[in-house]
Parts: sequence; C-alpha cells; structure tokens
Amino acid sequence: MRCNLVLLLALLVFPALAAEDLLQFESAEQQQLYRQLTAELRCPKCQNQNIADSDAVVAVDMRNKTLELVRQGQSHDQVIDFMKQRYGDFVHYQPPFQLSTILLWLLPVLAVLSLAWTVFRRSKDSQTEEGEPVATSDNLTALDAELQAMIDAASQKPKE
Amino acid sequence: MRKALFYVPLAAFLALSLFLLSGLFSDPRDHGSALIEKPLPAFSLPDLQQPERMITAADLKGEVTLLNVWGLWCPTCNAELSFLTELRQQGVRIVGLYYVQPVDAAFGDSFDIKALRHDVEQKLAEQGDPYLFNIVDEKRSLIFDLGVTGAPEAFLIDRNGVIRHHHVGDINPQNWPQLQQRYQQLQEGDPDAL
Repeated sequence: MRCNLVLLLALLVFPALAAEDLLQFESAEQQQLYRQLTAELRCPKCQNQNIADSDAVVAVDMRNKTLELVRQGQSHDQVIDFMKQRYGDFVHYQPPFQLSTILLWLLPVLAVLSLAWTVFRRSKDSQTEEGEPVATSDNLTALDAELQAMIDAASQKPKE
Repeated sequence: MRKALFYVPLAAFLALSLFLLSGLFSDPRDHGSALIEKPLPAFSLPDLQQPERMITAADLKGEVTLLNVWGLWCPTCNAELSFLTELRQQGVRIVGLYYVQPVDAAFGDSFDIKALRHDVEQKLAEQGDPYLFNIVDEKRSLIFDLGVTGAPEAFLIDRNGVIRHHHVGDINPQNWPQLQQRYQQLQEGDPDAL
C-alpha cells in the first residue's frame, strides 16, 4: 500500500518536469518582451485565451515564431504586425481604432458624457424648479414674519 | 424633452438585447481573414507523391483552385473526402495542403514522409481522392503564412494566384452552393479578378 502511494506521488512529479520549457534569451529585455507578447497575442483557434495560455497547435507555432522574431531583435510592434498580417486584427487583444471598431472606442466616452450631462441638467433643474420654496435673502424677512405669526397663533390657542 | 429622456434607458436596453441576440446566431470562428485579395505567400514545399518535386506558388496559378488544408489526424477532413471527390468529378480543381502535426522528439517521434505517403494513399483509395496533388507542409510554414488556425480550412485562389476567399470548417453539401457561386464567378473571369 505504502509502496503504491510512493509510486503514485512519483507520477505526480513528472508532468511538472516535462512542462517546463527552458527558453534561452540574450537579455532580460528580450525575455520581458517575449512574456509581454505571448500575453497580448490571442490564440485564433481558441475563443478567449492568449497564446501563452493555450496548447493549441497554432498557439504553439505562434509562440515559437514570437520567440524567433524576438531573438532576431524585432520590436514589440513589429511582432504584432507580423502576426496581424497573417491572422488579422483578431490576434491582438487591443483592437485598432478604425471605422468598424469606432463604436467600441466611442461608446464608453459617450456614455460618461451623456450621464454627466444628465446629472448636470438635473441639479440645475432642481435649483430653478418652482413649487418647493427656497430660502433666499429676498424672502427671508417675509418667512420670518410668517413664522412669528404661526408662533403667536399657537401660543394664543391654549388660553382660549 | 423630459418624456423623450424617459425612454432612453428602454431604448438602450432594447438595443443591447438585439445586439446580444444577433450574437447567438453568429459564428464565433468567423473572424475574417487578413489575406483576402492578397497574393499567395511565396513557398517551396515538397509534393507528397514525389518528394523531390518542389511546389511553389506558381504551380497554383493559371486556373481557379480550391486549396484545402487537411490531415489524416483530423476526423472532419476525412469525413469531407467523399464530397470533395464528387466536386473533383464535377471539374473543381482541388489541391491539398497537408497539415503535419508537430512531432514530439521527446517521445522519439520523427517525421517520415514515406510512411505518410503510404497512409495517405491508403486513405484516399478507401474514401476517394479529391486532390490533384498534395503539398506537404512539415513545419507548417505556409499554413502559418496563410493564417490557418486548424483543419479543415479552404482557400479559393484565382487564376493570378490571389486569395479570394477563406473558408473555415469543412465543405459539405449545405455550404457548397455559396462557395460554388464564388468559384464560378472567378472562373467566368470576374472583372475584379483581372
């Protein structure tokens, strides 16, 4: 029984060893760039995974290509362009600003602006709205007089 | 003005509902292709039947061609072989682009084109052979340049070697009429093609 358990534990260890990819980079910057790119590039086969996260054949090929291009010293934008030329805008998580994506970029701005406008209008409306009396320096004396009259009336009542 | 504002949230809700509803009927695999209206990328890859013969983009020019990406490992590709064979009998020029899956050297595997040729010949003898010839893309280089995400996928290529359509998924009697229309347009010499 104990022997089986040891064997079972040994099996658990091996996949961890096999999954470790040892990639060699010339510099820490290249390593950083590779990490950034594989996180930003989207696997075209999967519905929502970056290529660092996916083991689809196309994602593995894209990782290898990214590694090759990074080692050649290509910049972040050059690698993204290389992938976009083949797999389209879908491949990058950051959508470009163009006619087909204009709503995507403008809707949040429009929503914030229209909400701000509504809030502004409302606060302005409630200030100018009639019906609810508002104390201002003009009618303050009149209000005071009214209040005094009410106090007088109330204090006279118990005597009756 | 105030009344109109009252309906804004309702209108926004309806618009969002319609947008999400339309999403239910869209194909999540369809995200366009970056290569439409672009010439075939340059390549030089061996013919499966005669590995010493190298096929280049020039070999696909001259006639409208359906370039079909497939592999024996892919069940859908095997299922569409018989329908594609029918299309070949109808005169459609179909060229295969064989998708070789990565071999894991850690398991002592290596790529053997002879074994592959034998397996492919056997399969095509059973199911029908739709292919004029097969291009073997061992490193998936052309497959990568074409923006192929998996198999089966197909490309319609016009006489001048320009990619005119990218089809993701299998070709079957249901979706062929649409593709056929494009194929015939190209064959009749669509003015845009020249």
